[in-house]
Amino acid sequence: MSTGQATASSNGREARRRHLRTWPGTVGLLSPPLLWLILFFLIPIVIVAAYSVGALSLFPTTQGVSFFDWKHFLSGDSIYIGLFWKSVRMSLTVSVIVVLLAYPVGYFLALVSGKRKYVLLLLIIVPFLTSYLLRVLAWKVILGSEGIINTAVVTLGLRDADHPVQWLIYSQFTVILVLAYVWVPFVALPIFVTLENLDRSILEAAGDLGASRWRTFWRVTFPMSLPGVGAAFVFVFIPTIGEFVTPSLVGGTSGFMYGNAISDLFTQGLDWQTGSVLSLFLVVVVLVLMAIFGRFVQVRSAGAG
Amino acid sequence: MQAAASTNGRRSLVAFYWLLVVFLYAPILLLMIFSFNDSRDVAFPFRGFTLRWYHAFLTNPNLLAALRRSAIVATASSAIAVALGVLASFVLVRRRFVAKSAVSGLLLSPLVIPYLVFGIALLILFRAVDTFLTNTMGIYIGLGMHAIVIGHVVVSLPYAILTIVPRLELIDIALEEAGRDLGANARQTFRRITLPLLTPAVVSALLIAFTLSFDEYAIASFVAGDAATYPIYLYSQLRIRAGLPQMIAISVLVLVGSMVLVVATEVGRRRAERQLAVEETEGLLG
Amino acid sequence: MTSDIDPILASRLDRRDFLRYAAILGGAGVLAACKKAVETTPPAGGSASASPRPSVDQEPGILKVFDWDGYGNDTYGDHVLWKAYAKKYPDQKPKFILFKDDDFGYAQVANGARYDVVHPCAYRWPDWINLDVLQPWDTSLISNFGDLNPAFVEGGKVNGRQYFVPLDWGFAAPMYRADKVQPIEDSWGLLWDERYKGRISWWDSLNMFIVAGYFNGVANPWDMTDQELQAQKEFLISKIPLVRALWPVDPTPDVLNGDIWITYAWPVHWWAAKDYGSGKGLDVVYMNPKEGRTSWNCGMALFKDTPNYYHAHDYVDAWASAASALWLVTNDAYGHTNTTLDLSKVPQELVDAFSLDDPTALEEPHSHVERPIRRRDVYNQLWGEVKAAG
Repeated sequence: MSTGQATASSNGREARRRHLRTWPGTVGLLSPPLLWLILFFLIPIVIVAAYSVGALSLFPTTQGVSFFDWKHFLSGDSIYIGLFWKSVRMSLTVSVIVVLLAYPVGYFLALVSGKRKYVLLLLIIVPFLTSYLLRVLAWKVILGSEGIINTAVVTLGLRDADHPVQWLIYSQFTVILVLAYVWVPFVALPIFVTLENLDRSILEAAGDLGASRWRTFWRVTFPMSLPGVGAAFVFVFIPTIGEFVTPSLVGGTSGFMYGNAISDLFTQGLDWQTGSVLSLFLVVVVLVLMAIFGRFVQVRSAGAG
Repeated sequence: MQAAASTNGRRSLVAFYWLLVVFLYAPILLLMIFSFNDSRDVAFPFRGFTLRWYHAFLTNPNLLAALRRSAIVATASSAIAVALGVLASFVLVRRRFVAKSAVSGLLLSPLVIPYLVFGIALLILFRAVDTFLTNTMGIYIGLGMHAIVIGHVVVSLPYAILTIVPRLELIDIALEEAGRDLGANARQTFRRITLPLLTPAVVSALLIAFTLSFDEYAIASFVAGDAATYPIYLYSQLRIRAGLPQMIAISVLVLVGSMVLVVATEVGRRRAERQLAVEETEGLLG
Repeated sequence: MTSDIDPILASRLDRRDFLRYAAILGGAGVLAACKKAVETTPPAGGSASASPRPSVDQEPGILKVFDWDGYGNDTYGDHVLWKAYAKKYPDQKPKFILFKDDDFGYAQVANGARYDVVHPCAYRWPDWINLDVLQPWDTSLISNFGDLNPAFVEGGKVNGRQYFVPLDWGFAAPMYRADKVQPIEDSWGLLWDERYKGRISWWDSLNMFIVAGYFNGVANPWDMTDQELQAQKEFLISKIPLVRALWPVDPTPDVLNGDIWITYAWPVHWWAAKDYGSGKGLDVVYMNPKEGRTSWNCGMALFKDTPNYYHAHDYVDAWASAASALWLVTNDAYGHTNTTLDLSKVPQELVDAFSLDDPTALEEPHSHVERPIRRRDVYNQLWGEVKAAG
């Protein structure tokens, strides 16, 4: 591997040009992944759009294309728009909590922990790679009316057995707690990566110029880590706003989310048209979010290498 | 390092970190304990030690079938996703072309689709294709493992790209050029030089895609048809009484298995990377 | 071929020979009446009657059964229901494909999914017929058919042909923990009793509209006017804050772990909570509300294009046996349409709780038999809105 080096550097530019020419065309390389996404990702979403206006339907119908469901949904008469805002509130809460939990950890790992940082990072990430459903289930055992916390509360005589702490399970609180639990490991990563890539000399320069550590943090480190925070925020917000599994297991009636409504419209109510309107609306919301935060999510910034 | 935190600040951060680790692992440990609990209830008090839940799932053909399906789906989808990911990464890193940012945006876009919506969209796609095929040719494809694989490839692809691109950027293009100058054709260069250097990233990408697919519920639940995978089976059992302890036992095994796999791969990858870094440096110096 | 000679034939001949014999006879025209009936079905997919049916040996064998979640996985030992089938085809264990919600199961078939046997409930039977995916059973191939309750059997006929073999039935009623809950009166109103806020669970189903309808004295809860539906929707929305969770598959875990004291329940839930584990049974009551319980019954149907025609009949025959009936009654506390079931083998408290010895138990006004809902989509849509308001 060491022999060709001199030649290569001597006429590198020429070699590179040749290199580019002789490879199968960019199009040839790019078409398999692009085709896959067009066929199995973009076209399905277009078909969802067709369902949302009744151009396609689950059962044969005489009704033609109609924007009625869209109008109904967007006019605010629909009960689902209220549910959407409720879910937005819940997802925002989850995202804020998760970033607040993950930031100090990312900061610690990137700037303070020293040599063992990758091992410590791995320790945080591993739970994310284990069964999602099971991690949700674990909280049922902890938070149930006769679960660990309530058993302890009753044993300590703080409450009697017939009046355990009810909001622990089947509530918005439960959904928020469990979702935060599930997403923290995932979010520690982008925050870590941004902080890790900070130019340390700037921090030291700030220190040398007499800035206190707090001042350095708020005026230098934090602003520079904002892209990572933004990416983290979006990466939690998007999946949680479309969440339906966790609410269905621990949310009860009050933790019911927009995603549950979508899922039910497809599997229970068989109202695919309304379901498609709700789904597509979610896609639009995501697109708007990405238009705002998109610069945080680029190939390089989120790289986990 | 001193600039980042005072001694007290450092202590608080260390404490915070370990508290978070406890928060993350305590529920998992708890389940591990309950997998040995001699009761059909997953609740306190603890009723004694048993291994019967571990025995039970070994003789549960439905569960074993679901595990097997998940393994097949995860293997197929991770292999396809990483193959497509290598192609895409190569183009993104080594080529200039028009609309590059649009293309990379599209390639990464599955990252931000709520899986619920995507699962439903795939369901609708298969419905539309089947309606068309049934009417024209009398063919019915239906849902099943192939549909799950297709969906999982879509959502794994961005992760594969995000893992491979940074590594590819590190590989000195001069090495590839050197190979070319020594008479290797493009394919040979790719196979003999680029690919070996990419191996650690490819392994990471495979692992990420595999674990993602193995555990994925939302998409699979819509397109699995009659091919219930492990998370689908698990979910159905979570909501009925009898199956729970068994499910916890198998999940503990899967969980421990995946932890070991992740840690082993990560350690192996770092070792390989260090090795490669040394070789590269030697290469440049030589 | 009347059902009382089937057992005789079956006992003299090997079962397989018997089926072959029946098939040959069928081909020879002894079953011409049945044949004729098949041939007069609507033209779509009529090829099944034209070509000779392969014999049982030539069938692929692995039966695909499309059934409710809870059956088939043998979670509750339910292989007993088709024990006779397993005995006959030891190497051809049926494959079970399960749905949690019969609406989605129906949608999957409407979408083109095909199996051999499906287990829909009576209130959806007309929809299944409309899909034009089923064929009638040849009841002469079901040796236990003559033992089934004629009233149910009659309900399984469409245009005089036996499209559904009714097998299981059960109630729906409020269930509560007697150690925690003291109802003011026996009424569905317990499902929204303010005193037990946060301890109540409903079934995640449009059937809550039916319950509300009976509670509020609507003339026909199965076919409500827009105004009546709107009133029930508002009623349920006003009550859902009292409700902690909706159960999609099984409320028993929540009842057992103390999260829930009162729930909409099927008999199996009461039985499971009562008899649960060894010794940890709960003191639960399955109510007989003054508004009447509702009841449901389900039956097996045969897909038109099934390649496992004879296997399917044997499967249903196994389900229809008295042995299966005994298992279903004693394990799931459901009723079975086999009338030869020996009630003396059934625990007395089960007989009492579900009036198994009272043939009028399912009749009005004691209970309301579940029936097709003409505007099911509207009910479903409104039920979705109730949940979204939760």
